[in-house]
Amino acid sequence: MTTPILEIRNLHARIEDREILKGVNLIIPPGEVHAVMGRNGSGKSTLSYVLAGKEDYEITEGEVLLDGENLLEMDPAERAAAGLFLAFQYPIEIPGVATMTFLKAAMNAQRKARGEAEMSTPDFMRAVKSAGTELNVDTDMLKRPLNVGFSGGEKKRAEVLQMALLQPKMCILDETDSGLDIDALQVVSKGVNPLRAANRSMLVITHYQRLLNHIVPDVVHVFSDGRIVESGDKDLALQLEAKGYADFDGAAA
Amino acid sequence: MHQTMPVRLGPAEETLIAQLESVGASAEADRMTVAGLPTRRVESYHYTDLKTLLKTVPPLAKVANEASAPALRVAGAYQLMIANGVVQAASTAPAGVIVGKAAGGVLTSRDDVLVHLNGALAKESLTLTLESSVDPVIQIDRRIEGEAAHAADAVKIFVADNGSAVILETFSGSDAAHVGNHATYLAVGKNAVVTHITVDLSSKATNHFASNEYSLAEGAKLRTVTIHAGAGLSRSQVFARFTGEGAHGDFTGLNLVEDGQHNDITIDIRHGVAHTTSQEMYKQIARGRSKAVFQGKIVVERDAQKVDAKMMMQGLMLSDEAEILSKPELEIYADDVVCGHGSTCGELDEDSMFYLMSRGIPKAEAETMLVRGFIEEVLDPIEDEALNEALTGIVDGWLQGK
Ligand SMILES: Nc1ncnc2c1ncn2[C@@H]1O[C@H](COP(=O)(O)OP(=O)(O)OP(=O)(O)O)[C@@H](O)[C@H]1O
Ligand SMILES: [Mg+2]
Repeated sequence: MTTPILEIRNLHARIEDREILKGVNLIIPPGEVHAVMGRNGSGKSTLSYVLAGKEDYEITEGEVLLDGENLLEMDPAERAAAGLFLAFQYPIEIPGVATMTFLKAAMNAQRKARGEAEMSTPDFMRAVKSAGTELNVDTDMLKRPLNVGFSGGEKKRAEVLQMALLQPKMCILDETDSGLDIDALQVVSKGVNPLRAANRSMLVITHYQRLLNHIVPDVVHVFSDGRIVESGDKDLALQLEAKGYADFDGAAA
Repeated sequence: MHQTMPVRLGPAEETLIAQLESVGASAEADRMTVAGLPTRRVESYHYTDLKTLLKTVPPLAKVANEASAPALRVAGAYQLMIANGVVQAASTAPAGVIVGKAAGGVLTSRDDVLVHLNGALAKESLTLTLESSVDPVIQIDRRIEGEAAHAADAVKIFVADNGSAVILETFSGSDAAHVGNHATYLAVGKNAVVTHITVDLSSKATNHFASNEYSLAEGAKLRTVTIHAGAGLSRSQVFARFTGEGAHGDFTGLNLVEDGQHNDITIDIRHGVAHTTSQEMYKQIARGRSKAVFQGKIVVERDAQKVDAKMMMQGLMLSDEAEILSKPELEIYADDVVCGHGSTCGELDEDSMFYLMSRGIPKAEAETMLVRGFIEEVLDPIEDEALNEALTGIVDGWLQGK
């Protein structure tokens, strides 16, 4: 059996005294796209933050392997260099950092960590320009400080642009579709779909079945109260939309 | 009536008194005998108790016979040097610059121990007259070389009406427990545009004191940048006076303070005439167990109507043991003015750090990026590219613990 890109076993995490992840089990083989759907507050973003290495959480049990490597021992930068990418539900605005400077630093840091040579400025500019054109990201926008004054939709596109540039092996998209208009939804899926590859996997967190018409998942999981309670094929998303969560997690809507 | 008790003098004060007497400054020696070094009870030294902080004073500096490498290289700059208080021979000056030498100190007398000491101990001053717009950056390399020494030096600069110049002063020298007492007087002529940058790059063992006095004539535009990135104990004083209408001053600085250090920037900005404006923007970054001090005083005199002055101090704590202190003071005697001050203090934003790191940028580099963003406002206005790069390099070096 090939090594899964992501393997989560019995993951428990808490913030202060409150347990939020209560035993997550998930295996994503290479090349697969998995969708996660679930109520507000069920812990989906928490899962994505814990995977990316945010400090606020205490992991009390379980393990996570990224392509066979122990993810939980790495700091966030090491996780990124190992191939993990999180498209944030709420990308952070950083006033003092120019977007281009940031993109270049990120690309070169990851190359360096992998023992590759730094990218030349012209190569970098070309890469950004072509990815920008693909995703309808105005390169003028990239002259601004990182995410500052970007509209909600622009921020999401900028996240996908970063993902396209960094070529991660495990992409986590946390509600990348929320706040996007219908056209932007297509643009974003146009950015994401070409990234689908035999050696790259994705975890797509969403509230809307609509996104899954564009980015068609191999597996759909229902997330409830800190764990996965149901998994199925893409039709599960349709059933969820029709029936609501109550049928799946037993809680009253 | 209380009899004033004579203060108990410590070894630093004893040495200072002997040094003042040896140069014939008996009035200053008497003053030191009566008052001693300022303690926290002296308002303007409240956070920088020199009596406690300055334990010993080394012998008065002798002529330097060796020089360490320049503290900062700025491509294309015109270089001048003062070593151990002595003005060094200079190469041919660029167009519009007259370089000279004068006896004695340069500052207007005021009730301040560092000013008094400099006036008594500085034997000669480097004088610069800038007659027009000067193209190259003028760098004055002020250093203390050899064994631990107490050196006083002075610089007097006149910028003619309508002139313009960028003047950089760097302070450095050998790695010894020097006491440097530096003075600069800078008069900015009518409608002249001047940037004056002082950067302390001395060794950690050094005690660095600098007093900068400015006068701004009608329509003058001055930008000052005070950077501390060296001495273990430092205090830079900025005394500015607006003497002509329509003048504007941007007073800025970076106080970079690391483990074991105590660095102080104290400014006193006087709007003496109407229709003058100033903006004060100081940033302090402290790490390890250290103390950063900023005292900002703005005085608007009675007839100085329509003055607009805004002062801001922003502190960034890179450790829990660091202390960042800020004391703003507005003294306003005119009634039709707009004045304000603010200060903020915080740590690097955790969410920003996580975001940068989640893209693969290692912790130290992410910190550097955020700190660069934090200080951007101070360094951005420096347009000369080589100079801007050199200053950015100092900050980066400081962050990397060099
Ligand atoms: N810093 C925190 N302190 C305390 N509780 C927190 C913190 N962060 C998240 N939580 C709680 O953890 C739970 C899960 O939050 P999370 O953001 O993971 O939900 P979600 O499934 O992503 O929801 P949504 O669909 O609304 O984005 C929520 O009840 C939230 O209030
Ligand atoms: Mg969420």
